[in-house]
Amino acid sequence: MVPGAFLRVLFPTSEAPRRPGLPHIGYVLTGSPVEVIVAYTTSQPWPSHTPLPAGVRVFTAEEAARLNQSRGFLLRLDVIARLPLTSSWFPDFDAGEAAIIAVAPMPLQRELRAMAENLVRWRRDLIQMRGP
Amino acid sequence: MTDTLTKPAAHRGTTARPTATHRQPAKVAITLRLDADRARRLEAIAQAENRSLTNYVETALLRELARREEAERVITMYVAPGTSTSIRPEDVIRAEGETDEDYAARQALTVELWSIPDNT
Repeated sequence: MVPGAFLRVLFPTSEAPRRPGLPHIGYVLTGSPVEVIVAYTTSQPWPSHTPLPAGVRVFTAEEAARLNQSRGFLLRLDVIARLPLTSSWFPDFDAGEAAIIAVAPMPLQRELRAMAENLVRWRRDLIQMRGP
Repeated sequence: MTDTLTKPAAHRGTTARPTATHRQPAKVAITLRLDADRARRLEAIAQAENRSLTNYVETALLRELARREEAERVITMYVAPGTSTSIRPEDVIRAEGETDEDYAARQALTVELWSIPDNT
Protein backbone atom coordinates (compact mmCIF):
# COMPACT_ATOMS: atom_id res chain seq x y z
CA MET A 1 0.00 0.00 0.00
CA VAL A 2 1.75 3.14 -1.19
CA PRO A 3 2.41 6.15 1.03
CA GLY A 4 0.15 9.04 0.13
CA ALA A 5 -2.77 6.76 -0.75
CA PHE A 6 -6.36 7.37 0.31
CA LEU A 7 -8.25 4.16 0.92
CA ARG A 8 -11.09 2.71 2.97
CA VAL A 9 -10.15 1.67 6.49
CA LEU A 10 -12.13 0.45 9.47
CA PHE A 11 -10.66 3.12 11.71
CA PRO A 12 -10.70 2.25 15.42
CA THR A 13 -12.94 4.24 17.75
CA SER A 14 -12.34 5.56 21.26
CA GLU A 15 -14.98 3.10 22.51
CA ALA A 16 -13.18 0.07 21.00
CA PRO A 17 -9.67 1.33 20.29
CA ARG A 18 -8.10 -2.02 19.49
CA ARG A 19 -10.74 -3.40 17.13
CA PRO A 20 -11.65 -2.52 13.54
CA GLY A 21 -14.18 0.29 13.76
CA LEU A 22 -16.31 2.32 11.40
CA PRO A 23 -15.51 2.66 7.69
CA HIS A 24 -13.69 5.88 6.86
CA ILE A 25 -11.34 6.97 4.15
CA GLY A 26 -7.85 6.96 5.61
CA TYR A 27 -4.65 8.56 4.41
CA VAL A 28 -1.53 6.36 4.40
CA LEU A 29 1.10 8.58 5.94
CA THR A 30 3.85 6.01 5.95
CA GLY A 31 4.57 2.37 6.67
CA SER A 32 6.36 -0.85 5.93
CA PRO A 33 5.28 -3.63 3.56
CA VAL A 34 3.19 -5.18 6.36
CA GLU A 35 2.02 -2.28 8.57
CA VAL A 36 1.04 1.32 7.95
CA ILE A 37 0.27 4.51 9.83
CA VAL A 38 -3.06 5.88 8.67
CA ALA A 39 -4.52 9.31 9.40
CA TYR A 40 -8.22 9.71 10.05
CA THR A 41 -10.47 11.65 7.70
CA THR A 42 -14.09 12.68 8.09
CA SER A 43 -16.57 14.55 5.96
CA GLN A 44 -18.33 15.83 9.09
CA PRO A 45 -17.85 19.60 9.20
CA TRP A 46 -15.89 21.03 12.10
CA PRO A 47 -18.18 22.78 14.62
CA SER A 48 -18.35 26.51 14.00
CA HIS A 49 -16.73 28.81 16.60
CA THR A 50 -14.37 25.97 17.57
CA PRO A 51 -10.75 26.48 16.60
CA LEU A 52 -9.22 23.77 14.46
CA PRO A 53 -6.61 21.78 16.36
CA ALA A 54 -3.06 21.62 15.04
CA GLY A 55 -2.69 18.78 12.60
CA VAL A 56 -6.03 19.25 10.87
CA ARG A 57 -6.03 19.91 7.12
CA VAL A 58 -9.30 21.05 5.54
CA PHE A 59 -9.99 19.87 1.97
CA THR A 60 -12.54 21.86 0.02
CA ALA A 61 -14.99 20.14 -2.29
CA GLU A 62 -12.77 21.07 -5.25
CA GLU A 63 -9.68 19.61 -3.63
CA ALA A 64 -11.65 16.53 -2.63
CA ALA A 65 -12.84 16.06 -6.21
CA ARG A 66 -9.23 16.01 -7.40
CA LEU A 67 -8.71 13.15 -4.94
CA ASN A 68 -11.73 11.23 -6.30
CA GLN A 69 -13.87 12.11 -3.28
CA SER A 70 -17.36 13.48 -3.60
CA ARG A 71 -17.36 15.83 -0.60
CA GLY A 72 -14.99 18.14 1.21
CA PHE A 73 -13.37 16.57 4.24
CA LEU A 74 -11.02 17.03 7.16
CA LEU A 75 -7.79 15.08 7.40
CA ARG A 76 -6.60 14.71 10.98
CA LEU A 77 -2.91 14.07 11.40
CA ASP A 78 -3.45 14.31 15.16
CA VAL A 79 -5.61 11.14 15.04
CA ILE A 80 -3.64 8.28 13.57
CA ALA A 81 -3.56 4.50 13.77
CA ARG A 82 -0.82 1.92 13.34
CA LEU A 83 -2.48 -0.98 11.60
CA PRO A 84 -1.50 -4.25 9.92
CA LEU A 85 -2.14 -4.43 6.20
CA THR A 86 -4.93 -6.99 6.33
CA SER A 87 -8.48 -7.18 5.06
CA SER A 88 -9.80 -7.07 8.62
CA TRP A 89 -8.69 -3.42 8.86
CA PHE A 90 -8.75 -2.52 5.15
CA PRO A 91 -11.95 -3.97 3.66
CA ASP A 92 -10.78 -3.51 0.07
CA PHE A 93 -7.31 -4.88 0.71
CA ASP A 94 -7.79 -7.96 -1.48
CA ALA A 95 -8.56 -5.70 -4.44
CA GLY A 96 -4.90 -4.64 -4.54
CA GLU A 97 -4.27 -1.39 -6.42
CA ALA A 98 -8.00 -1.05 -7.07
CA ALA A 99 -8.45 -0.39 -3.34
CA ILE A 100 -6.68 2.95 -3.72
CA ILE A 101 -9.14 5.81 -4.11
CA ALA A 102 -6.43 8.34 -4.95
CA VAL A 103 -2.78 9.09 -4.30
CA ALA A 104 -1.92 12.56 -3.05
CA PRO A 105 0.42 14.43 -5.41
CA MET A 106 3.94 14.84 -4.04
CA PRO A 107 3.53 18.52 -3.00
CA LEU A 108 0.51 17.56 -0.90
CA GLN A 109 2.37 14.57 0.59
CA ARG A 110 5.18 16.96 1.50
CA GLU A 111 2.75 19.41 3.11
CA LEU A 112 1.10 16.67 5.16
CA ARG A 113 4.46 15.25 6.19
CA ALA A 114 5.55 18.69 7.39
CA MET A 115 2.39 19.00 9.47
CA ALA A 116 3.04 15.60 11.04
CA GLU A 117 6.67 16.57 11.73
CA ASN A 118 5.47 19.71 13.55
CA LEU A 119 3.10 17.67 15.68
CA VAL A 120 5.85 15.20 16.59
CA ARG A 121 8.20 18.07 17.47
CA TRP A 122 5.53 19.76 19.60
CA ARG A 123 4.75 16.51 21.38
CA ARG A 124 8.43 15.83 22.04
CA ASP A 125 8.98 19.36 23.40
CA LEU A 126 5.99 19.07 25.73
CA ILE A 127 7.10 15.70 27.03
CA GLN A 128 10.61 16.98 27.69
CA MET A 129 9.22 20.08 29.38
CA ARG A 130 7.02 18.04 31.68
CA GLY A 131 9.40 15.17 32.27
CA PRO A 132 8.84 11.47 31.76
CA MET B 1 12.64 20.42 57.84
CA THR B 2 9.26 19.28 56.68
CA ASP B 3 5.74 20.18 57.52
CA THR B 4 2.47 18.55 56.70
CA LEU B 5 -0.47 20.11 54.93
CA THR B 6 -3.03 17.93 56.61
CA LYS B 7 -5.44 19.74 58.90
CA PRO B 8 -7.76 18.63 61.68
CA ALA B 9 -10.52 16.42 60.33
CA ALA B 10 -13.16 19.15 60.66
CA HIS B 11 -11.26 21.31 58.17
CA ARG B 12 -10.34 18.72 55.61
CA GLY B 13 -12.01 19.63 52.37
CA THR B 14 -10.94 16.48 50.53
CA THR B 15 -11.99 13.78 52.98
CA ALA B 16 -15.76 14.23 53.01
CA ARG B 17 -17.60 11.00 52.31
CA PRO B 18 -20.18 11.04 49.54
CA THR B 19 -23.74 11.42 50.75
CA ALA B 20 -27.09 10.96 49.09
CA THR B 21 -27.08 14.61 48.06
CA HIS B 22 -23.43 14.68 46.90
CA ARG B 23 -22.89 12.16 44.14
CA GLN B 24 -19.27 13.04 43.29
CA PRO B 25 -16.79 10.15 43.38
CA ALA B 26 -15.28 9.50 46.81
CA LYS B 27 -12.01 11.31 47.40
CA VAL B 28 -8.89 9.87 48.93
CA ALA B 29 -7.04 11.79 51.66
CA ILE B 30 -3.30 12.07 51.20
CA THR B 31 -0.61 13.56 53.41
CA LEU B 32 1.72 15.97 51.67
CA ARG B 33 5.04 16.89 53.25
CA LEU B 34 6.67 20.18 52.29
CA ASP B 35 9.35 22.31 53.85
CA ALA B 36 7.87 24.85 56.26
CA ASP B 37 8.70 27.94 54.21
CA ARG B 38 6.99 26.59 51.13
CA ALA B 39 4.00 25.44 53.14
CA ARG B 40 3.60 28.92 54.67
CA ARG B 41 3.91 30.52 51.26
CA LEU B 42 1.27 28.25 49.77
CA GLU B 43 -1.01 28.90 52.75
CA ALA B 44 -0.63 32.65 52.22
CA ILE B 45 -1.46 32.34 48.52
CA ALA B 46 -4.49 30.19 49.30
CA GLN B 47 -5.73 32.72 51.88
CA ALA B 48 -5.26 35.55 49.40
CA GLU B 49 -7.43 33.63 46.94
CA ASN B 50 -9.99 33.00 49.69
CA ARG B 51 -9.74 29.25 49.55
CA SER B 52 -8.43 26.45 51.71
CA LEU B 53 -4.90 25.18 51.30
CA THR B 54 -6.30 21.76 50.41
CA ASN B 55 -8.45 23.27 47.68
CA TYR B 56 -5.56 25.33 46.38
CA VAL B 57 -3.22 22.34 46.17
CA GLU B 58 -5.92 20.14 44.64
CA THR B 59 -6.66 22.75 41.98
CA ALA B 60 -2.97 23.12 41.13
CA LEU B 61 -2.57 19.36 40.82
CA LEU B 62 -5.69 19.01 38.64
CA ARG B 63 -4.38 21.77 36.39
CA GLU B 64 -1.06 19.96 36.04
CA LEU B 65 -2.87 16.69 35.30
CA ALA B 66 -4.94 18.35 32.58
CA ARG B 67 -1.80 19.85 31.03
CA ARG B 68 -0.10 16.48 31.07
CA GLU B 69 -3.08 14.78 29.42
CA GLU B 70 -3.18 17.49 26.80
CA ALA B 71 0.53 17.03 26.10
CA GLU B 72 0.10 13.31 25.68
CA ARG B 73 -2.71 13.90 23.24
CA VAL B 74 -0.95 16.13 20.79
CA ILE B 75 -1.23 12.97 18.74
CA THR B 76 -3.84 10.32 19.44
CA MET B 77 -2.33 7.02 18.39
CA TYR B 78 -4.39 3.86 18.04
CA VAL B 79 -2.27 0.72 17.84
CA ALA B 80 -3.75 -2.53 16.55
CA PRO B 81 -2.90 -5.63 18.58
CA GLY B 82 0.05 -7.58 17.23
CA THR B 83 1.74 -4.71 15.38
CA SER B 84 5.47 -4.28 15.83
CA THR B 85 6.83 -1.85 18.39
CA SER B 86 9.61 -0.48 16.20
CA ILE B 87 10.51 -0.09 12.55
CA ARG B 88 13.86 0.02 10.79
CA PRO B 89 14.30 3.02 8.47
CA GLU B 90 15.18 0.73 5.57
CA ASP B 91 11.79 -1.01 5.93
CA VAL B 92 9.86 2.21 5.24
CA ILE B 93 8.16 1.99 1.85
CA ARG B 94 9.27 4.61 -0.61
CA ALA B 95 6.56 6.64 -2.34
CA GLU B 96 6.51 6.84 -6.11
CA GLY B 97 8.58 9.80 -7.32
CA GLU B 98 9.91 10.55 -3.82
CA THR B 99 13.30 12.26 -3.79
CA ASP B 100 16.12 10.99 -1.61
CA GLU B 101 15.67 14.01 0.65
CA ASP B 102 11.92 13.49 1.01
CA TYR B 103 12.39 9.79 1.63
CA ALA B 104 14.98 10.43 4.35
CA ALA B 105 12.65 12.91 6.05
CA ARG B 106 9.78 10.43 5.95
CA GLN B 107 11.97 7.64 7.28
CA ALA B 108 12.90 9.83 10.26
CA LEU B 109 9.25 10.78 10.81
CA THR B 110 8.18 7.14 10.58
CA VAL B 111 10.63 6.03 13.25
CA GLU B 112 9.37 8.85 15.52
CA LEU B 113 5.72 8.05 14.93
CA TRP B 114 6.33 4.37 15.49
CA SER B 115 7.74 5.11 18.93
CA ILE B 116 4.47 6.70 20.11
CA PRO B 117 2.62 4.16 22.24
CA ASP B 118 -1.10 3.53 22.11
CA ASN B 119 -2.43 6.45 24.15
CA THR B 120 -6.15 5.82 23.76
